Amino acid sequence: MDHEEVERLIEAGVPDAEAEVTRPRGVDDDDHLAALVVSPAFEGVSLLEQHEMVYDALGEHMTTDIHALELTTRTPEEG
Amino acid sequence: MAFRNEPELSPEEARERVDEAIESNDVVLFMKGTELMPQCGYSRRALGLIKQHREDVATVDVLAALDNYREALEAHSGWETIPQTYVGGEFVGGSDILAELDERGELAATLEA
Repeated sequence: MDHEEVERLIEAGVPDAEAEVTRPRGVDDDDHLAALVVSPAFEGVSLLEQHEMVYDALGEHMTTDIHALELTTRTPEEG
Repeated sequence: MAFRNEPELSPEEARERVDEAIESNDVVLFMKGTELMPQCGYSRRALGLIKQHREDVATVDVLAALDNYREALEAHSGWETIPQTYVGGEFVGGSDILAELDERGELAATLEA
């Protein structure tokens, strides 16, 4: 799955999220993605639940066409 | 895996091993490969992060029956991804969450079961 599509899905699924999805192994490798997601919805929510919110936004793509996603979540205050 | 002589675990056997491992270990990591030979970068990373803070960690190699282990783990955590870390019977997360906790200086406390 294309990294911009992953970005779009996260931003659509997590309230007021800003997602930045990169390809840490290079622009030719769409299999290994890294996402930095900033959303006020993460405020006061455990890290586990924060990650689950992002995985929920990606739905079944997470088990089908996303091979690996390194995830970092932040509230706007944490930058 | 090319050379694997043992027959694959059945779904029931995988479930029993998962239940037993979570119940009887303070810290257990379900990973691809073994402690000496991790077979996946994320499993290696998770193991390394745990080992920074404690020596005593049980590991279960899910490659012995990947699909059956995924299913058994999902019943506990809701997650099908590997690796998965459990402390005191509770699901903590995969390698990203361990890394994030480490960065925040909270991993040592999290691993104290």
